[in-house]
Amino acid sequence: MLRILLINDTPKKVGRLRSALVEAGFEVVDESGLTIDLPARVEAVRPDVILIDTESPGRDVMEQVVLVSRDQPRPIVMFTDEHDPQVMRQAIQAGVSAYIVEGIQTQRLQPILDVAMARFESDQALRAQLQAREAQLAERKRIELAKGLLMKMKNCSEEEAYTLMRRQAMSRQQKLIQVAEQVIAMHDMLGS
Amino acid sequence: MTDHHTTPRADAQAWVAGSDAPEKSSLNLGFMPLTDSASLIVAATQGFAEPYGLSLNLKRQVSWSSLRDKLLSGELDAAQGLYGLIYSMQLGIGGAPATDMAVLMGLNQNGQSINLSTPLRQAGVCSGETLLRHVHQSSAKLTLAQTFPTGTHALWLYYWLASLNIHPLEDVNTLVVPPPQMVEHLRAGRIDGFCAGEPWGAHAIDQGMGFTIATSQSIWPDHPEKVLGCTRAFVEQYPNTARALIMAVLEASRFIDASEENKAGTAQLISADAYVAAPRQVIEPRFLGNYEDGNGHAWHDSHALRFYGEGEVNLPYLSDGLWFMTQFRRWGLLREDPDYFAIASQVQQLELYRDAAAALGIVQPATAMRSATLLDGKRWDGSDPAAYARSFDLHALSEAPSSADDQGTSPCCASS
Repeated sequence: MLRILLINDTPKKVGRLRSALVEAGFEVVDESGLTIDLPARVEAVRPDVILIDTESPGRDVMEQVVLVSRDQPRPIVMFTDEHDPQVMRQAIQAGVSAYIVEGIQTQRLQPILDVAMARFESDQALRAQLQAREAQLAERKRIELAKGLLMKMKNCSEEEAYTLMRRQAMSRQQKLIQVAEQVIAMHDMLGS
Repeated sequence: MTDHHTTPRADAQAWVAGSDAPEKSSLNLGFMPLTDSASLIVAATQGFAEPYGLSLNLKRQVSWSSLRDKLLSGELDAAQGLYGLIYSMQLGIGGAPATDMAVLMGLNQNGQSINLSTPLRQAGVCSGETLLRHVHQSSAKLTLAQTFPTGTHALWLYYWLASLNIHPLEDVNTLVVPPPQMVEHLRAGRIDGFCAGEPWGAHAIDQGMGFTIATSQSIWPDHPEKVLGCTRAFVEQYPNTARALIMAVLEASRFIDASEENKAGTAQLISADAYVAAPRQVIEPRFLGNYEDGNGHAWHDSHALRFYGEGEVNLPYLSDGLWFMTQFRRWGLLREDPDYFAIASQVQQLELYRDAAAALGIVQPATAMRSATLLDGKRWDGSDPAAYARSFDLHALSEAPSSADDQGTSPCCASS
């Protein structure tokens, strides 16, 4: 049974939406969005999906969605009356997996949530790949920087610097990047 | 960055896909705590993967069956694999459903050992002849361990025992034990000997638990041993990544074999707790080809563990893949002749490997078939695997009706 954190960010009651979700077989934990600290609630409840019902998502709601997407990523579905494409784009960028306008029917809930979860997984995989590439590029830059510093310190060629770094890494059972960080730290300390 | 070891890529080598950037840049690589895994450890930690746009995350495994399951589930993208393990996964023998597999390259040759317990030596066993006598005179069957039922260690053990006229499936008991646990099993008296990769043979000697009675290279000099393996689905989905991985590991392999200093440095690196987790003094001697058998005999082995051999180690030879299937057939793991050449051609990623090696300016063996004479004097050249599998005096081939069927089968001589 999927656990859904249902956020009511509207003045009206969400009895009908909650009933529809329970009827569709979900476990529902509901909260009033007007006063919520969303990251804290996500940490406490650990929902599989976050569902936000809002007439028009305001800046506060968007900011909390961003925080959750960054620190505790999981599928987020937004039901709203807001048609503005700009708002929709902001919501997607903030991490919303599915943005649904105009109304809810019980029989549509399961596929909407399924699609949101699948989209979320796909987005997460892509994000992970991008983060890996960024980390890898940063690492390469640090290694290049260390190599350049070593060439100056030792007045040696690029290949010699690389060999020195690698020899040190193998001797100390370390990764090359660890030795690079040590070279950079030593350079910074000596101020040369 | 500029890597002086990389030949600038010619226009002719531009990839069909329009870009050679890897589709997947972060890879989980499985390995076992064996010196054979050195090229993966060096590639992952010493900057050999980054020039190809890869980050390699090393994932040490506790057993070959665990490594196999994670390769199949996708938890591991690629792994160090026993040659025989990859082929048993392809054929669906040994406990997992048949899955299309890929051998990207050979990781190493040589470097395994058959070791017997100190009590056996005290009982007078110190050579093949004395072992044969012991086996046939003793009332209790010996128990010998290997590391996976279809793995190279099982097959070297069987081949060696059979060459002594000891039937490995009838005259002794065999047991599967993960390599690092061999010594504890010897100590506990659960096994009388084992075949495994190093440093575990040297470790047994170091602990006073046993001695080395044969090396794998004495059975077949420069034998195929470990490979870089993955599922075929991985290659089909991420061809640029697979090629980049081959290049990274090839460069690391070349580096290790480039000098004694590099080998010694590698021995130091891989002795770390995160990798092989064994003392350097246990790892380094055999890694450098310096053997001592625990019975006072020491030698420098001209066919020690090697990772590159000017590229001779790394080509995924068709004949190597074929050989493992012949032994599966010989020992009854396959009840019928497989379509030897079709299977080997699918599993051995020759084209991908040749692209990667060419990009690095590595001279390649002209043919994907190589030949050898094994210690029993029998010659293997890959030309007739079905006949070769049936040519042994000791085997577990069922007789008629399979025998009759076999006689009616004409072996396929086509090669890719």
